[in-house]
Amino acid sequence: MPGKSAKKRSELSNKERMALSFQEMPLIAPEERIKNFEEVPIGYSLEEAITEAKRCIQCKKPDCVDGCPVGIDIPAFIKLIENGDMAEAAKKIREKNFLPAACGRVCPQDKQCQAVCVVGKKKEPVGIGNLERYAADYERQHNTLELPEIPPSTGKRIAIVGAGPAGLTCAYELCIRGHEVVVFEAFHRAGGVLVYGIPRFRLPMDIIDEDIEFLEKIGVKFVYNMIIGKILSLDDLLEQEGFDAVFVASGAGLPKMLDIPGVNANGVYSANEYLTRIYLMQADKFPEYSTPLYQGKKVAVIGAGNTAMDVLRTAKRLGAETTCYYRRSRDEAPARTEELEHAEQEFLNWHWLANPVEFIVDEDNFVKQIRCEKMELSDPDTSGRRKPLPTGKFFTEDVDTVVLSLGCDVNPMIPATDKGVKTNKWGIIIVDEENCQTTKRGVFAGGDAITGGATVILAMGQAKTAAQAIDQYVRN
Amino acid sequence: MQKIIDTIINKLKSEDEELISLALDEVEQLSDITDDDKIALASTLTLLFYRDHVGMSEMISLANRAEKQITRFGSVVIPFLIDELVNADAESCAHLGRAIAVNGADAIAPLLDVWNKKRADQYALINLTQALAYFRIPEVLQTLPEILGAAESDNYQLSSNAINAMGKLVARLDSNLFDEVLRQQMFDISFARLCDSRSLVRMQAARTLGKLMEKGLLTNTQKERLRTAYRAIVGQDGCNDWDDAYIVRHEAKCYLPLLKTTPTSVAHYQQSFKIISKRALCPDTFHYVIEAPLIARKLQAGQFIIIRPHELSERIPLSICGWDRDEGQIEVVIMSAGKTTIQMNEMEVGDCFKDIVGPLGERSHVRHYRGTCVVIGGGFGTGAIIPTARDLKALGSRVIGVVGARSKDLLIMIDELEAACDEVILTTNDGSAGIQGFVTHALEQIIKDEKRVSHVLAIGPVPMMQAVCELTRPIGIETMVSLNALMVDGTGMCGACRVSIDGKTKFACFHGPDFDGHKVDFDQLTKRQKMFVAEEKQALEIL
Repeated sequence: MPGKSAKKRSELSNKERMALSFQEMPLIAPEERIKNFEEVPIGYSLEEAITEAKRCIQCKKPDCVDGCPVGIDIPAFIKLIENGDMAEAAKKIREKNFLPAACGRVCPQDKQCQAVCVVGKKKEPVGIGNLERYAADYERQHNTLELPEIPPSTGKRIAIVGAGPAGLTCAYELCIRGHEVVVFEAFHRAGGVLVYGIPRFRLPMDIIDEDIEFLEKIGVKFVYNMIIGKILSLDDLLEQEGFDAVFVASGAGLPKMLDIPGVNANGVYSANEYLTRIYLMQADKFPEYSTPLYQGKKVAVIGAGNTAMDVLRTAKRLGAETTCYYRRSRDEAPARTEELEHAEQEFLNWHWLANPVEFIVDEDNFVKQIRCEKMELSDPDTSGRRKPLPTGKFFTEDVDTVVLSLGCDVNPMIPATDKGVKTNKWGIIIVDEENCQTTKRGVFAGGDAITGGATVILAMGQAKTAAQAIDQYVRN
Repeated sequence: MQKIIDTIINKLKSEDEELISLALDEVEQLSDITDDDKIALASTLTLLFYRDHVGMSEMISLANRAEKQITRFGSVVIPFLIDELVNADAESCAHLGRAIAVNGADAIAPLLDVWNKKRADQYALINLTQALAYFRIPEVLQTLPEILGAAESDNYQLSSNAINAMGKLVARLDSNLFDEVLRQQMFDISFARLCDSRSLVRMQAARTLGKLMEKGLLTNTQKERLRTAYRAIVGQDGCNDWDDAYIVRHEAKCYLPLLKTTPTSVAHYQQSFKIISKRALCPDTFHYVIEAPLIARKLQAGQFIIIRPHELSERIPLSICGWDRDEGQIEVVIMSAGKTTIQMNEMEVGDCFKDIVGPLGERSHVRHYRGTCVVIGGGFGTGAIIPTARDLKALGSRVIGVVGARSKDLLIMIDELEAACDEVILTTNDGSAGIQGFVTHALEQIIKDEKRVSHVLAIGPVPMMQAVCELTRPIGIETMVSLNALMVDGTGMCGACRVSIDGKTKFACFHGPDFDGHKVDFDQLTKRQKMFVAEEKQALEIL
């Protein structure tokens, strides 16, 4: 580090740092943003970024790094931002995370790095996610990204199944180790859940496209419309197609549905279907794009996770009166704090402690009403969890669209078409946690395929573990 | 002078290694030797090549020194050396070959001359090919046609020598000297020899192919073929049928890593989805043959594909009515029903669909049935029953096809179905062809006439499938139906296609599309299919 900058840093004592107040992320006003799909957070200004960076007390033993699934050297990149060295800060993040712009936006920092931030013990934790986003955006806007040095080819070929966060990360990690990587994607474009599951107002398409272009530039090959398991089996890849290893990152599949009357009514969607129609197939631009979306005036969203927030806010932007139904209370809502707060600003209705028991349909099987049982929370049980208990009191409301956001089971395609890949009773692919190796030799897995539905960053962490193991496996 | 030569020759003929060594020193000192003396000396020196070196430790180096002296004599001794060569034993052949090759271009014509004379003498040819392997000059390429011919010989020694010579020349000469025709020939001949019954030939072939590859003389396709072959030789292709000869596996193992360094081509995963042919079956309904080699290779009866004709389009699931694995083509019937299918039917031969995904869904329920199988197609479903009918018949079942339409003009794919079934019965609502009435009338008749009906498959409009199921339910005939539910992704991710089977929610795209018809909630299916009626109308209006 240049001596001058180091000096500047020493100007502030920890006490002074702690005295600085948290820099709120500027947002588009709720009244404005619910009219379009523009990204909601505007991003820090240079001053805001530097001030926020100054709040970091540069702990000797930083807990935040352990709290990051991919182990980003958080104090180091924040220090670089404080010194005004934005390009270097981005480079520092990229040492561990090649999707910084996406992760700065969609990571649940409140359950990771920021949750363990020492500053957070007394005040708001340092806005690590906001700063990551700032560095990544600086890099994008100023074109400071340098292509990594790719070592000479090892001659080893690795097939990646699925172009979502896990697949892309593994592709990157293997490519920079000199292996040849081909990514097989079932859809007509790459990005996986980043495209079909995360709304544009949280993650603009440009960012995803840039990350994919970056991978193409360093030599990763993409093939679309390829459903591995059907058009080529794992054995085809390993034998006939000559791949030395396969990384399965096929993600989530079969959405969880409720087992209640009316669940197959018209107008009842899974969150996957609803979001896919809009964000992958662009049904919001119907009829220019020909994928239709039936959505009425009153939308009910069941669940309170991140995806539920995405659906709620999407439905609102499409002009509906939108209500969240969740069987526990707000405190138990699994959504990322920021998502929940942003959603709460957007004129939505909330029915906490409401458990749907029936979707009432008309004679044409279109959903007309939702009937819920009011719930109450038990005292914490031995596991410390408060369970929702039925109260015997019910209420009914008019709705014309229902979106179930209850999570997904694992995509069953690979285990169903290759008996060598064993799953547990929930259909989750069994892997050795140390190296992400499945029960089939040469086949590794990561992401939602081995967790059954988690976060982008966790999938990336697993992909990195797998990449390291695959690297060792193909070299031996 | 003559005396000196004679003395030397006598010494060379001696059994005493020291004496021979001295004589070789003396030869080295000689200058201004006459041509006759050169030949006389050469013929004596070549005798050293034949000496048994067992028990005579110096003999090998003496032979090498003799070879070196002969090379000093120049082209005058070439005819003599070639004469010797054609009859030489294996050991001497190497010495003679090298001594000839040193002369370069001068030796080529005499060698070819002898080759022509000795064409019938395989023993001679074996030695001649070996000698050719020692040349390092471009002119030797004149002999390559002969070498290539010899490589295809039935005599395995000749063949292996020739393949070896080919490899040596490839390794020694500039790659630019080999034109495309020659490269192709060398590859084809060597590649064919990878399955020779003699391990020596296979080894030489594996090695020469490796050299061709190393010198960059192979195309990507050839490299891909070679890679596959090497993998089979070393047992990496999972067939557990590796080459039983270590020497062959060893060559393959040496070259395999080099082959892998060629940049991965993904071109063979790119399918064009081009329309190869299009024919009208009836108004608004067309039969297409589409280029999709990877899909064609894997399709099975009952599976389906999803097409996206252009960038703004939705994803349309379609049944498959046939495929040609060798040609890499798939066949579908597209009936104009909404905006996207109308747009698809506006496409012509040579146009390409944007995306096609498949094969999707599970294979149809096919096995051998003792009783008769009835496959029933209505409307667009007529094409879809053909592959399953063919499979059922191939397994030895008696298969009757039933096709229903409103009138004669709307009956489609009858010839194709007849080819796949033992018998085909037509029904039309207006009686313009076949039985007047519905497919159920034909089915009732079949049940009456046949000794036993074991299995029914119905594909078509929901009311038709439902009617068939109502007919077979009371008499307990196994009945499968293929459900054309609404879909988005087609891989089980979105749940748009969920159907109630025996009260349980299933995904038509993943668990189906074929289900036990007696368990399907047709009422719900009918209503779910009408989910987007208003939107479809809106889309059509702006078309």
